[in-house]
Amino acid sequence: MTDLREARMSRAQFFRMMGGLAAAAAATAACSTKPQTTTAQGQQTATQLKFVGVADQKAAMDQLVAAYKQVKPGVSLTTTFAPTDQVQTSVRTQLGAGNAPDLHVVYPGDGSAMSMSQIAKAGLLADLSDQAWTQTIPTGFKPAFQNDGKTYMYSAGSSVIGAVYNTKAFQKAGIDAPPTTWTEFLAVCDKLKKAGITPIALGAQTPWVTQLITYALVPSTVYAKDPTFDDKQRAGQTSFAQSGWRQAMEMYLELQKRGFFNDNPNGTTFEQQTSMVATGKAAMAIQVSAVLPDFRKSATSPSDLSMFPVPGADSADQVWIPAGVVVGLGASAKGKNLAEAKAFIDFLGKQENINLWAKAISAIPLTQDASSTIDPAVQSFLPFTKDRAVPFMDQRWPNAEVQPVHFAVVQELLAGKIKIDDALKKMDEAYAK
Amino acid sequence: MTANIARGSLPSTARKPWGRFSSLSPSWVFALPALLVYAAVVLYPSLAGMVYAFTDWSGIGEDKSFVGLANLTAMLHDEQAMGSIGNTLLLTVTIVAVQNGVGLLLALGVHVKLRSRAVLRVVFFAPVVVSPVMVAFLWKYIYNPDPAAGLNGLLGTHIDWLGDPSLALWSIAGTVVWQYAGYSMVIFLAGLEGIPPELHEAAMIDGAGTWQRFRYVTWPLLAPSLTINLMLSTIGGLKLFDQVFAATNGGPGYATETLSTVLYKQAFVFGKFGYSTAIALVLALFVAAVSMVQLYYLRNREVAQ
Repeated sequence: MTDLREARMSRAQFFRMMGGLAAAAAATAACSTKPQTTTAQGQQTATQLKFVGVADQKAAMDQLVAAYKQVKPGVSLTTTFAPTDQVQTSVRTQLGAGNAPDLHVVYPGDGSAMSMSQIAKAGLLADLSDQAWTQTIPTGFKPAFQNDGKTYMYSAGSSVIGAVYNTKAFQKAGIDAPPTTWTEFLAVCDKLKKAGITPIALGAQTPWVTQLITYALVPSTVYAKDPTFDDKQRAGQTSFAQSGWRQAMEMYLELQKRGFFNDNPNGTTFEQQTSMVATGKAAMAIQVSAVLPDFRKSATSPSDLSMFPVPGADSADQVWIPAGVVVGLGASAKGKNLAEAKAFIDFLGKQENINLWAKAISAIPLTQDASSTIDPAVQSFLPFTKDRAVPFMDQRWPNAEVQPVHFAVVQELLAGKIKIDDALKKMDEAYAK
Repeated sequence: MTANIARGSLPSTARKPWGRFSSLSPSWVFALPALLVYAAVVLYPSLAGMVYAFTDWSGIGEDKSFVGLANLTAMLHDEQAMGSIGNTLLLTVTIVAVQNGVGLLLALGVHVKLRSRAVLRVVFFAPVVVSPVMVAFLWKYIYNPDPAAGLNGLLGTHIDWLGDPSLALWSIAGTVVWQYAGYSMVIFLAGLEGIPPELHEAAMIDGAGTWQRFRYVTWPLLAPSLTINLMLSTIGGLKLFDQVFAATNGGPGYATETLSTVLYKQAFVFGKFGYSTAIALVLALFVAAVSMVQLYYLRNREVAQ
């Protein structure tokens, strides 16, 4: 054991060792800089584009990337997908460091850290306004796509929030038609409860799930009465506390008070919520239509599941619904292959590709032609989309703090830790930041 | 052994391989490459990053301005950040006490001559090698509020482990202790193995019982292990992130928000990079101060073997 201490190293040995280390380091460095895209000199090598997206986009993107390969063999697209939180962390960091992927996920409107407005304002999104498809964006959806009149985001369509329900569970409880007023809705829940079925599964441990019931009700309690609420709120003329938001939260808690939710919603996750409805243990879940595929995956037969608009008012013509543009993508303004990245978005803007993407996530296509299909489960929402639909509320909020505060106060309300007054006050404070 | 002799005689008998560098201690030369790398990938970025604590940078774009100490004063008025300090301290104290208590008992248990002790050591240490995020996800299933599933099914209870705001923090502490008690155990075990059996024999001849031998022989000689364990678990507790993020994401409400989750949210959810860096700076200084004080007191109570 003593030889190590006594061991002497000649200068030559020492330098050989150091040389070896240096060579190893150089080799590592060389490896890490290898995947360079060639634009200037390399016509023979393919242009490589990178896309980073959220998990919900995978099904559609996989098909479209494959299709693009047929159209443009010279361009190869590598895609990575991750859950929302992780994408938000990694893409924002890359944007901040100036090495964002050529194409990346963008959330519609304003109000979140990766939203179109916030990134466009920092000058990091390429202007897409010269592409043909941008001319056909329906007026109501423009705020989701545009900042200062320029289009910065692509999205294939819109999704709705409503009740995903298990048709077999409804049959079992003797319910033949979905409710069209709030009173009927409560009666349906009551019937289900008496039949021994949990009326509404709520997975409020997953933060974004907490907001869906308020989002489903607020169009009827706020926007049906005043469609210009967002503008007035921005101008400081009204607030959450002074509006129908209070009524929506009261209705939310009434559902809890009457025992229409599963036990311990704050400890229940989205995945558990999904499986409760898919297996018929619970009859419905207030959810966004984009997750219908998740519900269908866990059901014995996909046709067991359908959707209806949540009636947030007591007369059917006062019922409005939330319909928001689905998460999209944009091109990095500072990308090396900007022209190719924009060309890919132009490809996505073709009607058949809008149709394809929309179909993969049960969305309503942005623009429609004869070949557009609409998921039968969301058919009942179509009469509303014209003039009784509002974008998801956060898309018009001025900063990224209101939404997480909404998540937190709903959890605290469900836990009985705070009153509705406190909840709305906290949201108003976050809005004013 | 011979090592001492060799070390003592080296300067006079050895052919001086370092030539004119002989006045330079070789240990520094060897440390230099490592120090350079450390400076380049740890020190420099950390110090450069600190600057952002005094700006209002959003994390993206060029737009930023110097705001002085505004971020630090804002923190004092931030209910969420201040609340998270309370949660962080509660979690840390609980984890340090319980994890090391359990770790010590496990170490004493598997130190005795048991036929199965090798297997038991592996079993108790196994959770340590699993990623904390995976552990948190697994425990989310174990903490299922359904009375027929998970821990509730086992105990016959109906408890909402992660959904009840007054309980969620303790549930998370439970997962951390479950995972890292084995880590404390290993360090204590190394300490126990290093105590010469002669001391125990001498104590026994003097008529000391089991408790007295633990109190007057084992416990004082375990001091270095205790120092390491307390420091590591304190630092781990203060910067706890993964388990909280994966299990509750700070909820329900703000019940399990820690300094680390708050600073993460400020940077990546709210887009307030400057403010988030200020919180990180406070956290780093706090961890450094606590560790230094702890090290000073614990080192003083260590005895020479």
